[in-house]
Amino acid sequence: MTPTPGQSTRPERPRLRARTVGIAAALMAFSVFAAREVGFDPSTFWEVWSNPLWEKFWPIPWDWVFDSGNVLQPFVETFQIATISTILGCGLALPVSFAMSSLTTPNRPTYLVSRAVMNVVRAVPDLFWAKLMVTAIGIGAFAGAWALTIFSLAVMVKLFSETVDGADPGPLEAARAAGGRHAPSLRTGILPTVFPDYVAHALYVFELNVRASVVLGLVGAGGIGRVLEAQRQFFRFDRVLGMLVIIFVVVWVIEQVSVSLRKRLI
Amino acid sequence: MIRLEDVSVTYPGGVEALRGIDLTIGDGEFVVIVGLSGAGKSTLLRVLNGLVPATSGSVVVDGTEVVGASAATLRQVRSRIGMIFQTFNLVNRTSVLNNVLMGRLSVVPAWRSTLGLWPAEDREAAMAALERVGIVDKAYVRASNLSGGQQQRVGIARALAQEPGLMLADEPVAALDPVTSRQVMGDLQKINRELGITTLVNLHFLDLAKEYGRRLIGLRDGEMIFDGDIADVDDDTFRDIYGRSITDEDLLAMGDSPTDGSEGG
Repeated sequence: MTPTPGQSTRPERPRLRARTVGIAAALMAFSVFAAREVGFDPSTFWEVWSNPLWEKFWPIPWDWVFDSGNVLQPFVETFQIATISTILGCGLALPVSFAMSSLTTPNRPTYLVSRAVMNVVRAVPDLFWAKLMVTAIGIGAFAGAWALTIFSLAVMVKLFSETVDGADPGPLEAARAAGGRHAPSLRTGILPTVFPDYVAHALYVFELNVRASVVLGLVGAGGIGRVLEAQRQFFRFDRVLGMLVIIFVVVWVIEQVSVSLRKRLI
Repeated sequence: MIRLEDVSVTYPGGVEALRGIDLTIGDGEFVVIVGLSGAGKSTLLRVLNGLVPATSGSVVVDGTEVVGASAATLRQVRSRIGMIFQTFNLVNRTSVLNNVLMGRLSVVPAWRSTLGLWPAEDREAAMAALERVGIVDKAYVRASNLSGGQQQRVGIARALAQEPGLMLADEPVAALDPVTSRQVMGDLQKINRELGITTLVNLHFLDLAKEYGRRLIGLRDGEMIFDGDIADVDDDTFRDIYGRSITDEDLLAMGDSPTDGSEGG
């Protein structure tokens, strides 16, 4: 059918609304106000860069960096912390996510309690968890692994419960119609559809954990972060830079592997 | 044997899906339920296995009261009722066999099905069900790689794997083309005749209803307008159920039959 002339006129381009302009102006005004309040001044930027501290970063003492006891061993520890906490946290996240989704929860109390608990867990920052664990069970990798397990659980539940929420309810209905109990119905009706996403999210959580366990070391939770913090306190910034280069390379490699694996999964 | 007495369903939000349904269906019957979308066809099937709880009234399936039954009793009732869905409700990311094994959930211990350790006799039952619908060669194929008609056959096999006494088919051919629709309806008819499984089918194509049904139930706005032998159905009956004359859109074989009224059986 050809359009009848006069019947379908092209619509006029919608005009930029006054509200949009108003919101943009308000945001800009608030940014300026916030910068003044915290004493932000562009000139401080140059002060930072002209600080003689930077000269201490060079040259990188590669001999020290590649001496296995200095960087490699703590790095392996970081890796171990990240691995164990990813496995524990993501493993726990599987049942918790099912409990937290209205589609798959066994009953209303479980739904409400699991949501409330996870909201509290998420509200506490991971660094604070690490501090808490170091205080509770002492300095070392064990505290770091515990803190990161909780962190993994919180992140994974956030990501995965949304996947479960969006899963096709049809097969679950079929499983229930066939007289299945709750857990086997979820296992056969929902899990196969969400499992690739689960693995992909777990890989992402592992990525986050490697990075986070570097930071957690700063508060005494083991791994490469502990060495980083020690060298910083000795003002050996050349060694710090060497470690940062290694961390950058390793994190980048893990990210590339994880991204390509995730692409294949979904 | 199914007996419904004064069954009403009101959904949260106030929609009355069924109003005062009285119905008795004997063993081995093949019943077709017709009505506009929203007339309560799906709800009627789902009160039978308790997927939708009846708000009031009594639903007795093989001597067991479904309304207000405990979770364990409901599972017991459901284990004897196979269900087939409009959109097949298959798990696309797993094999055909795994889908059919879902029909064995009620008899396999929870820990075994949760771990995926299905007993050999249940695998055998699933394979036999696939053989009956003629797609056993696809047992290890991903469900998403099958055509619509094949997927619905997997749905039928899953229901058959339960070794049910009652089969509920909720618009089983609405997502299929005319040729495949007839094959699937033929499968259901064959199962009804050969295995003696009581079968209830929701349809919205009138010619399919007349071709395959023996007994017809007509729903309109949640009320039962007609219940009787398919041979007694005439155009006036359909007009009562649909609130208007029959058009081509109510027929599966569009264009093959004369418009309005003269489609005969």
